[in-house]
Amino acid sequence: MQLLISSVCMALTSAVIGNAYYQKKQFYPAVVYITKSNASMAVIYIQFFVIVFMFGKLLRKIFLGTLRAAEFEHLLERFWYALTETCLAFTVFRDDFNPRFVALFTVLLFLKSFHWLAEERVDFMERSPVLGWLFHIRVASLLSMLGILDYVLLMHAYNSTLLRGPTVQLVFGFEYAILLTVIASTAIKYVLHAAEMRTDTPWENKAVFLLYTELVIGLIKVVLYLLFVVIMAKIYALPMFVFRPMFFTIRNFRKALNDVIMSRRAIRNMNTLYPDATPEELRQSDNICIICREDMVNHSKKLPCGHIFHTTCLRSWFQRQQTCPTCRLNILRAPAVNSTALPRAPGAADEPAAAVGAAPAAGQPGPANATGANASPAIAAPDVGLGRANGTPTGANAPPPSFAELFGDANGFPNLGGIPPPPLMPMLAPFMVPPPFAYFTPVPVPPPPMPLDLTKFTDEELRAMEGNQRKHIEERLQLLRNITLMLDSAGILMNQYQGLVARLPPTTVSTSATETTTSATSLADVASTTTLASTTSPVSSAVYDKPSTSTAAAAAAAAFAAKTQEAHQIKSVAPTIAATVTSTSVTDKITIEDLGADEDDVPTVAATDTIAATADAENEDSSELSELRKRRLKFLEERNKSPDSAERAASE
Amino acid sequence: MAGSALRRLMAEYKQLTLDPPEGIVAGPISEDNFFEWEALIAGPEGTCFEGGVFPARLVFPPDYPLSPPKMKFICDMFHPNIFADGRVCISILHAPGDDPMGYELSAERWSPVQSVEKILLSVVSMLAEPNDESGANVDAAIMWRERREEFNQIARRLVRKTLGLPT
Repeated sequence: MQLLISSVCMALTSAVIGNAYYQKKQFYPAVVYITKSNASMAVIYIQFFVIVFMFGKLLRKIFLGTLRAAEFEHLLERFWYALTETCLAFTVFRDDFNPRFVALFTVLLFLKSFHWLAEERVDFMERSPVLGWLFHIRVASLLSMLGILDYVLLMHAYNSTLLRGPTVQLVFGFEYAILLTVIASTAIKYVLHAAEMRTDTPWENKAVFLLYTELVIGLIKVVLYLLFVVIMAKIYALPMFVFRPMFFTIRNFRKALNDVIMSRRAIRNMNTLYPDATPEELRQSDNICIICREDMVNHSKKLPCGHIFHTTCLRSWFQRQQTCPTCRLNILRAPAVNSTALPRAPGAADEPAAAVGAAPAAGQPGPANATGANASPAIAAPDVGLGRANGTPTGANAPPPSFAELFGDANGFPNLGGIPPPPLMPMLAPFMVPPPFAYFTPVPVPPPPMPLDLTKFTDEELRAMEGNQRKHIEERLQLLRNITLMLDSAGILMNQYQGLVARLPPTTVSTSATETTTSATSLADVASTTTLASTTSPVSSAVYDKPSTSTAAAAAAAAFAAKTQEAHQIKSVAPTIAATVTSTSVTDKITIEDLGADEDDVPTVAATDTIAATADAENEDSSELSELRKRRLKFLEERNKSPDSAERAASE
Repeated sequence: MAGSALRRLMAEYKQLTLDPPEGIVAGPISEDNFFEWEALIAGPEGTCFEGGVFPARLVFPPDYPLSPPKMKFICDMFHPNIFADGRVCISILHAPGDDPMGYELSAERWSPVQSVEKILLSVVSMLAEPNDESGANVDAAIMWRERREEFNQIARRLVRKTLGLPT
């Protein structure tokens, strides 16, 4: 087909030239004759294009060899787009439309095609199994040749613009500048690919280099396009023909930017949050990175879910998605849960402490709770906090240990990395009358024994209490029984409280001082009950050796206690008792809802008490408990908003 | 050292050759290009596609395995989850984020732990149990749901066609 066209063309051209020469007999008259005749010129033009095409084929043979089907397809597609854009450009420059102009555009298109092909070739490098020296010579020479041509033509356009003011050379100068950036990025990619091929191990940072190359080149291109559009719009008309490539360039740049941001985030996450897989962990697993299906010798990371991958594989995946490839755990949503690292407490100390600080600090008491006979710092802590908030030390321990003392443990864990210690409450006294213990008398159930101070346990004792033996299980069950008892009393308290609220007149301002204190006291009770209930879940889930679940809940409970104190603080600074009452009732409403949920929960926990400690039952309960925990966490989220409402009430 | 996508594809090819799953043959069309594979899938036994051998083509993206390959049957197919042009529509082939049918869970989507073998096994089970919720081929989905006998007949005719038997 091509052969036919070129031979027909050749025949036509020779006929035209022969005819002219035959008629005029001499060289110059013949040339004049041909240029004057439109038909002859058409033939000559066509011949010109055919020659360009053939030249292109020759160059392709030299520099690229045979094209792959995909390459050819892409070339054709881009060529048609470029052609239509060129035609659009003609409309802007219709005044100086002449053969020279067409020729320049042809050269531009011709060079563009080779740029595309070179790009494709270099992209293909990464995907082809074997590349000979011929490939390298070809690509290198093609790239340097194109680069030099671009530079020469760019300089030519620049000089002619300087000499003769803005002409169509402006467009060419811009186009060659763009092509120069294309060549630059292609050359960088080529160097990177070639460098990787020379080594026998995968080059880990190549992806990062490629990413930044893309970003920088994209930025240069975007700036060029914008400049061009502005200049063109000022001198000629809006250059419609660059809108399509400009759109794609901007889109690519945005994508590159996004990739860089994502990649940076992924790298940061990996460096700070996830521990390197240790050799024995690698030996335990089948030692194959499931992303690239290659052995993991070094540079592997362990995710919170326990799956291990190559650092580089993970990084490129995290650029797209922030989930574990195997189990799809969202790594951004659960950054601090480092449960798997916790059981090996001694080794955990040298982990990136700042990031996971919250987890060990809150998580360590979890297993400890389960073991203490009736000791629970999680329960003690909120009690202490509330007690201090009310100015009444309710706990048996007269100088209540601070949060830091309670949650920090002997292992030297960083203390409460994420949770700020609750502020002390010095100014509560003026408005919060310390409720006399007489108001506690309606409680028919005697308050359960107060937990021992866990900080007094030594490491050996704590470790001795962990385990699956009967003794340990009995101890845990005992603890659960205590919790049930507490919950029961909370339920009764709740009933009383509800009765009290029902008896309160709707206008709380006229309430007597006694009633104010009563409601304040009850509020304190209720709040402590909710705290208690919320601590139940970490404790009970800790019973089933699930520190991972307990960490979050325990941390949440601590946060909750802090929140409660904040609410009290707000109350205390309110100017009048009336305001106090109002804010109290606001907080009350919230706690009522909470307690409703608590009462639902009571049977669940009670059930855990009665069921024998068989493994099956444990599993069943733990699912129930996880449900409970979910509800609790949801409530705590809602609860976060409550200080706002209290504040609003106080300002009224 | 070649690119990671290529190495992974080579590893998968090796594994598929050494330990081929039942009823599946797959490999690159040419050793020069590991990014285009051809697969032969035997119709699962006990279904209307039993006995058939269906050729398909897999095209891998340059960033495989971070992005899923595309799969297309190159024989006539009539199935609720296969487009009229042969493209296979199963969730494992869709990257999380794009959801052509708007119902797939991200847990069923592509992830780098998937492989050619898993894709092909999913396709086999898709042949056995069409998902008539996703209407890649609505006609086929309706026929499969309402006129099963007719669907089976068409499937059997396709089976004979793939085997080169007169229909």
